[in-house]
Amino acid sequence: MRLLLTGLSHKTAPVHLREKLAIPEGSIPHALQEFQKMGASEAVVLSTCNRVEFLLSSPDHIEPGVIVDQFLQAWQGSAAIFDGHIYRLESREAIQHMFRVAASLDSMVVGEPQILGQLKAAYAAAKTEGSVGGLLETVLTRAFNVAKRVRSETGIGQMAVSVSYAAVELARRIFGSLKGQTVLIIGSGKMGELAAKHLHRSGASRIWVTNRTLSRAEDLAKIFNGKAIEYTRFPAMLHEVDIVIASSGAPHYILNRDDMQRVIAQRKNRPMFLIDIAVPRNIDPAVNEVEGAFLYDVDDLEGVVNANIQERTKQAEQAEAIVFQEVEAMMSRLKLEQVTPTIISLQEQLEEIRAAEVLRTLRRMPGLTPEQQQQIEQMTKSIINKIAHGPISELRRNAGQPEGNQAIELIRKVFHLQH
Amino acid sequence: MGESSVLWLRVAACLYSIGLLDAIITVVRRREALFRIALSAFGLGALFHLVSIVEQGLAQHQLPVNDIFQTMSFCAFIITAAFLAIYYRYKAGSLSVFIFPLVFVMTLVGALRNPVSPWSNPVMGNTLLVVHVAASLAGYAALLFTAASAVVYLVQEKQLKRKQTNSFYRMLPPLGTLDDLISKSLGLGFAFLTIGMVIVIIWAFVGMGTRWIGEPRVAISFITWAVYLALVFFRVSAGWRGRKTAILSIVALACCMITWLAHAQLQKRLLQ
Repeated sequence: MRLLLTGLSHKTAPVHLREKLAIPEGSIPHALQEFQKMGASEAVVLSTCNRVEFLLSSPDHIEPGVIVDQFLQAWQGSAAIFDGHIYRLESREAIQHMFRVAASLDSMVVGEPQILGQLKAAYAAAKTEGSVGGLLETVLTRAFNVAKRVRSETGIGQMAVSVSYAAVELARRIFGSLKGQTVLIIGSGKMGELAAKHLHRSGASRIWVTNRTLSRAEDLAKIFNGKAIEYTRFPAMLHEVDIVIASSGAPHYILNRDDMQRVIAQRKNRPMFLIDIAVPRNIDPAVNEVEGAFLYDVDDLEGVVNANIQERTKQAEQAEAIVFQEVEAMMSRLKLEQVTPTIISLQEQLEEIRAAEVLRTLRRMPGLTPEQQQQIEQMTKSIINKIAHGPISELRRNAGQPEGNQAIELIRKVFHLQH
Repeated sequence: MGESSVLWLRVAACLYSIGLLDAIITVVRRREALFRIALSAFGLGALFHLVSIVEQGLAQHQLPVNDIFQTMSFCAFIITAAFLAIYYRYKAGSLSVFIFPLVFVMTLVGALRNPVSPWSNPVMGNTLLVVHVAASLAGYAALLFTAASAVVYLVQEKQLKRKQTNSFYRMLPPLGTLDDLISKSLGLGFAFLTIGMVIVIIWAFVGMGTRWIGEPRVAISFITWAVYLALVFFRVSAGWRGRKTAILSIVALACCMITWLAHAQLQKRLLQ
């Protein structure tokens, strides 16, 4: 059985080529049928905004690359436009690539979780079409397990790599759960809205919005089912707020150290998280000196993101080691599967000879007691087991070795085996 | 001290104990479920307390501050009166977390001046002692958690302030979780330690008469309890967090260690 993975990704092709090869969700069943008609034993199509990949298996006598060429010809009119961008990986490389993709090591943002879901959806679509069930099934289900292992054994997916997620991560480090926390958005900057959306999704239930123009505050508040507050009233309500997102266009500081000292005293020193994503800044940096107040501006959040990216890179090294280990294990398993029919064939042939010879011998010696017959059975079984032990060990040892095929072929010839 | 004046003082101590219960509930559950009842009981207790002091004064024809028991009782009454006046004027209910337990313990000490007959059954005395040791050790363990959590809180807070992020600090619990842990362990520890102390006061009073008050170990225990009480008060009433809680909880823990060492002899006695 041959295995081929071919396609384009954000690493090899620009978006205008990726979108040409992309297969819309509704057309995937048709594409899978086409692959099977063209001679593929199994096929899976993974089509996302960052990658389009085809995973095929075919019988030994069919070249899977030819199937792909035919498919591209039929589907796109020509395969030539993808030259230099499309990659073709076989056997071990194909498995390694699939494992890396599933573990999000080949993603644009390393560690992002969406790709695993997309791969599972591609597998489910292929399963529905009946285009997986053998080798690809084995490879993909292992890939899902590898992704799970990478996530649990490394911290690759735990660190926020966008400014708005970094804000959520920090809020969690301060408050633990965001459930029931009150968020105040000052101003109507897009970044502020995005950060508030993430906080809201993470459990912050009360969202208040204030703006010099009340109608704008009301519009934004509606999105979160929140409350609009008059701009002049917000300082008096600040002590009830746990997280402040400042993104107003005010040219000066709207919160200073004294304000914050008063607010923190009113809160009985309960911590408060202030995110200043306005430029020019809305909150006096000295506010961070107040005990219980944690102020982060855009640069601070960027700093957190950069540190997280570095950390993810470190974790990715660990993840690569896991993938390598898993690929090795998978290859050994597949290699063993490759010689299993030969081993079974050898055992069956020897058993057939043994059974026939025992039968003949027993007919010639009718006076034997059942115990004596049993002993002959045992003895002959023991002889063929000892004879088979050598060749079986050799078959296992040579499975998948570069020059192993010759040894396997020799054993087949010596014993006149069909498989 | 006259029998009836001691009786009134003991009634006052019983009424003040509702205040102690309220303080414990406030610290552990963080809500003032019993405050109204406790305040009324406290007022009524103050009345009995006043009667006791007046009766003692009339009997002695002087201010009843002749020994440590009377002084304790008198001080407790002054604190009670001051608290009620402050509460009447400023509605400063949060002080009760500190005042209620303090007044109760002081009044209890004051009410234990007249010796009573020792335990008729020694099992009773030993049982009380075992409960005291168990409660005190549970209190120390809880304080250990408080101090450890407070130190971790400090580290996490510093990292957040310095805007540092790395995998080690990501492993530390969030500030909110640590704060919750501090509050809960502090509340439980306070409850255990108070129970342990009240039991041992009664035990020592019955077993040793009035001699117990002169024991240095008792003084150390009182100081430890007072530090714990201060920690609880500043935490609940003034919302102390971070550095202040960490320092005070470490001081309280050190006091507990000293108390524990001072009681090594007591342990020997238990083993015998």
